[in-house]
Amino acid sequence: MLAHGIGGVRDLPVPESFFFSTAAVVLVVSFVLLGVLWQRPLLERHADGRRLPRFLQTVLLSRALRVALQAASAALFVLVLATALFGTTIEVLNFAPTFVYVIFWIGMPALSVLFGNVWRVLSPWRAMADGAAWAIAQAGREPRALLPPPVGVGRYPAAAALFAFVALELAYQRPADPRVLGVAIALYTYWALGGMAIYGRDAWTRQGEGFAVAFSLLARIAPFAVRDGVVVLRWPLTGLAGSERIRGTLGFVAVMLGSTSFDGFSRTSTWQNLLADVRLDLVGQSQRTIDLVLTLVNALGLAAFVLAVALTYLTAVAWARRLVHATRSLVPDFVQPLVPVAFAYLVAHYFSLFALQGQFIVLLASDPFGRGWDLLGTANFAPNLTIVSPETVWYVQVVSLTLGHVAGLAVAHDRAVALFEDRRDALRSQYPMLALMVLYTVGGLWLLSQG
Amino acid sequence: MERIKLASVICAAGLALAGCGSGDDAAAPTASETTHAGHTTTETETTQTETAPAAAVTVRILVRDGGPVGGLARPKVSQDDRVVLVVDADVSGDVHLHGYDLEQSVAPGDPARIRFRATIPGRFEIELHAQPEIIVGELTVEP
Repeated sequence: MLAHGIGGVRDLPVPESFFFSTAAVVLVVSFVLLGVLWQRPLLERHADGRRLPRFLQTVLLSRALRVALQAASAALFVLVLATALFGTTIEVLNFAPTFVYVIFWIGMPALSVLFGNVWRVLSPWRAMADGAAWAIAQAGREPRALLPPPVGVGRYPAAAALFAFVALELAYQRPADPRVLGVAIALYTYWALGGMAIYGRDAWTRQGEGFAVAFSLLARIAPFAVRDGVVVLRWPLTGLAGSERIRGTLGFVAVMLGSTSFDGFSRTSTWQNLLADVRLDLVGQSQRTIDLVLTLVNALGLAAFVLAVALTYLTAVAWARRLVHATRSLVPDFVQPLVPVAFAYLVAHYFSLFALQGQFIVLLASDPFGRGWDLLGTANFAPNLTIVSPETVWYVQVVSLTLGHVAGLAVAHDRAVALFEDRRDALRSQYPMLALMVLYTVGGLWLLSQG
Repeated sequence: MERIKLASVICAAGLALAGCGSGDDAAAPTASETTHAGHTTTETETTQTETAPAAAVTVRILVRDGGPVGGLARPKVSQDDRVVLVVDADVSGDVHLHGYDLEQSVAPGDPARIRFRATIPGRFEIELHAQPEIIVGELTVEP
């Protein structure tokens, strides 16, 4: 069973000395931060940022650029789907698995955090829906949603969609099988396009398209944003100010955090031994039965991690509410601080996969169907699997988790001082948040240090 | 009313697709079987390393009754070691070392011997592609 979709090289466990020193740094930094952080909310005030120069605005927001990017994205989508359905069934020789699990699923979060919500113009599904709407408008009819937006269900549809994807990646026994992936892509396309046709493009992008919701949340970290039709440069994290009142956002973030931590846990000897025992109990059964049972066991583990994230958060905010005698629930107020933590987990778990397995896209691009082609002259490119040393990987892991932790605390702190007039209340509400963040960070580190 | 109907048609089409999805799913294991058949052994590579001097680290793993004897094997070697991975099994199939992507056939009484130089640090799954598949263990290459 390959963890995280594809890729044969697994990171070595973070050494104990790294684990203990980083955990200590995290604790000290947290308490220092708590004492010296700003006393008035800063993030929201800076969220408007500074407008980029006019000519950049014209280029970045031009219709020509958008149409070009959307067309390229749709073409790439067709290539991925075609290679998945008709290319070689050898996982490592087919373009689709490496593209989906490595280039797309690790690259897009990174792009979103660096450049903002670029998924808006890079999403192939949005491109197709925009194209359809354009065609309908050309035919002289108004493109209209069939039903009003499903406001009541909030982001739960998106959370379900993301859970389905991570279950395919982390629970299913053959996530990189090109045919399985092809069918999954086709199904997801129905989900995305059907939803947009029924509820409208914008509503479904906000509530149902799992990737769009994930990338738009991560894009709030970014130093770039489009506000009121203007591209602005702003301090990172300022997009995370305020509360998040759309239902299901906690569930969504829990899927993001829970899935990455389960990916770590599923590689520990504890879980691997458990799966080996299950296999032994199933000796004599058919491969399909074994795969099904193992997939179910993994899916249960995945769901347990998602639930654990949600429950620990709910416990922390309930505790905070008691401490400050708040009259209403604080659940919507401290969800956004989890977003940088979720990104830190992604970086910590997938950085090496991107750096190692990502190189294979160079040769796969020349021979996407695995037929011996050499379209770009790169088919014989030899990936360097020692390009990142284990030490580099460990440093990236502990540094990203620590930064994510600090960013999360800062965002939570900013929210607290915005929320409570009494500075002591603001501080008091942060003890549970601090405990929660320390739990997530040290827990995440611990998972990375397990053999 | 018309719109609700159209919406339900879209949903129904999705369900139909999910139906074909599970059909394709069933075909998946066969697809990967052909994969391994067309993907056997790397004899040339292994014989090349064999000619090199220096003592090799031999890792021996016994597979009986559908699993590795004594639980998942967790051998450790150092980077740049010459390694001979011997898997002795009571079934026929291919032993696959992930990451290094080396494969070697195995049969009862005819153990697989994978010889290689451990140039890449990390953890690498050792799998036995047989019917059914067996996870044999994980090789750790320490820097």
